[in-house]
Amino acid sequence: MNKYFSTRLSITVFAAPALILFTLFCVYPLLPQLWMSFHNHNGFQNLGFVGLNNYWSVMQQSSFWVAHKNTYLIVGMSLLIGLPLSMILALFIDSQTPRLRRFFKTAAMFPAILSVIVISQIWVAFYEPNWGLFNTILRAVGLDNLTRSWLTNSNTVMVSIGLTFLWQYIGLNAILLYTGIKTIPKNYYEAALIDGATPFQVSTRITIPLLQDVIKYVLILSTLGSMAFYAHVRVMTAGGPGDLSRTVIYQMYYTAFDTSQFGKGTAIAVIFVVQCLLISFLIQRFVAREKVEF
Amino acid sequence: MKASYVLRVFWIVMGCTFLFPFYWMISTSLKSRSEAYENQFGLPSTWEWQNYSEVLSKYDFLLYFKNSLIYTGGTIAITLLVGTMLAYCLSRMSWKWNGMMLFYVSLGLIVPIEVVVIPLFQLVKSLHINDTHFALILPYTGFSLAACVLMLYAFLRSLPKELEEAACIDGTNVYQAFFRIILPIVMPALMTQTVLIFMRVWNEFPLAFILGARDQFRPLTVGLHSFFVSVGVSHWGLIGAAMLMTSLPTMMIYMIGNEKIENALTAGAILK
Repeated sequence: MNKYFSTRLSITVFAAPALILFTLFCVYPLLPQLWMSFHNHNGFQNLGFVGLNNYWSVMQQSSFWVAHKNTYLIVGMSLLIGLPLSMILALFIDSQTPRLRRFFKTAAMFPAILSVIVISQIWVAFYEPNWGLFNTILRAVGLDNLTRSWLTNSNTVMVSIGLTFLWQYIGLNAILLYTGIKTIPKNYYEAALIDGATPFQVSTRITIPLLQDVIKYVLILSTLGSMAFYAHVRVMTAGGPGDLSRTVIYQMYYTAFDTSQFGKGTAIAVIFVVQCLLISFLIQRFVAREKVEF
Repeated sequence: MKASYVLRVFWIVMGCTFLFPFYWMISTSLKSRSEAYENQFGLPSTWEWQNYSEVLSKYDFLLYFKNSLIYTGGTIAITLLVGTMLAYCLSRMSWKWNGMMLFYVSLGLIVPIEVVVIPLFQLVKSLHINDTHFALILPYTGFSLAACVLMLYAFLRSLPKELEEAACIDGTNVYQAFFRIILPIVMPALMTQTVLIFMRVWNEFPLAFILGARDQFRPLTVGLHSFFVSVGVSHWGLIGAAMLMTSLPTMMIYMIGNEKIENALTAGAILK
């Protein structure tokens, strides 16, 4: 019967539209991207072949390296701080009574469903030096010397933006992890309880190892999500002060659309695509493990 | 257990911080220009409803809302239709390239959409679809297909082969079988994808900032951003009102279907 349905025509009708759309808008753009990166292109016309010059000149800009440092700072923050906090929150949600659990799940998802633009703008108000939430709290508890202008201070700006990002997605990640926790059979816990395991032991010896599948999924989502970090920066600081809070994507947008150097912009993009591929490969290679079967 | 008590308090405070911006947004939206600074966290002393009418006169909410609806609706409709068809072909038709194509489509998960914004900008111009809503719908579709096809593929593969066999005997052709038998069965997976694509496209900013930059084609995110830029940080009452108006549709949908949305968002994590 499979043969009866699978004529050359029906396969074409079913497969072609999606494959064409996918190829044209998702895969094909990488080719002109590569081509443009070897040319002096101003967005309207090609001004000639320049070989690797775009690559050399973008790498000589200090903003390029600042942008990389910032991007990987965000990746590091979301993996080293965001992910553990999400895990703890997930375990905490799991240990609550159903009513409280409902409250936490609804509340935790809330920031993630709102637009990045809204969240970032709210946090701009929170970071405001004179009347913003953070400085108001610091003054109230007598730590006046810790108050600062968070988003214009070169030392705090990137961490401040990163915190907003962490806060926005910790809850969503926690709920993804919690969903995984729910699929672990209850008898594992009963066995541990009979053996007299403490809640901490149960978490580290049963829940987390059995959850590695879901943890890997969240890890991939957070890594790729923070690699493409852009919108928060655009709203909160527009890359400032100076170029100190630019991320790689921001640097690429800036180069292409604000200074009309499309060739150089695409060179940054190509370098970045290579990094994304490398990181995906590393995750697949080293984090991928056997699927957990119950 | 003192430690667990502290932990509990910490997370309850945390839970409230997740909701605090929501409260802040509502209360600020009703404050006058000066009160927003003087009384940042309390309830407004006088309720300034004219903030809303002032925002409506400066911020073309209805236009941006309409654009967002078109972008999101268009992306969902096209992605689900062509994505399910491809998933059906890959999972249930005998085509020698099936395995290859599945791998090819899954590559779409690796590269973030922002990275190809420059060539997309050029592509959209050379296809002459700039200054139409397709300038965003089609790229969004291209980038939503990978996840959609993979999820539908997993779903379809789990269905018994006998489904179409019965249809075969009745003499229906493959198109009727697909639309009358398969589509109704995969509805739950389609609902999940609808929620996922909605969340992504409705809140998408980086691509829309470039490809939907003309005022007439701005979605809510881009319109809101340019409104913030034009108001500056001088009148937080207006900013609050614009934020609340923009967020209200999503918040209402979330209030009504938060369990469904949560299930959809987590489906990817446990399905694989």
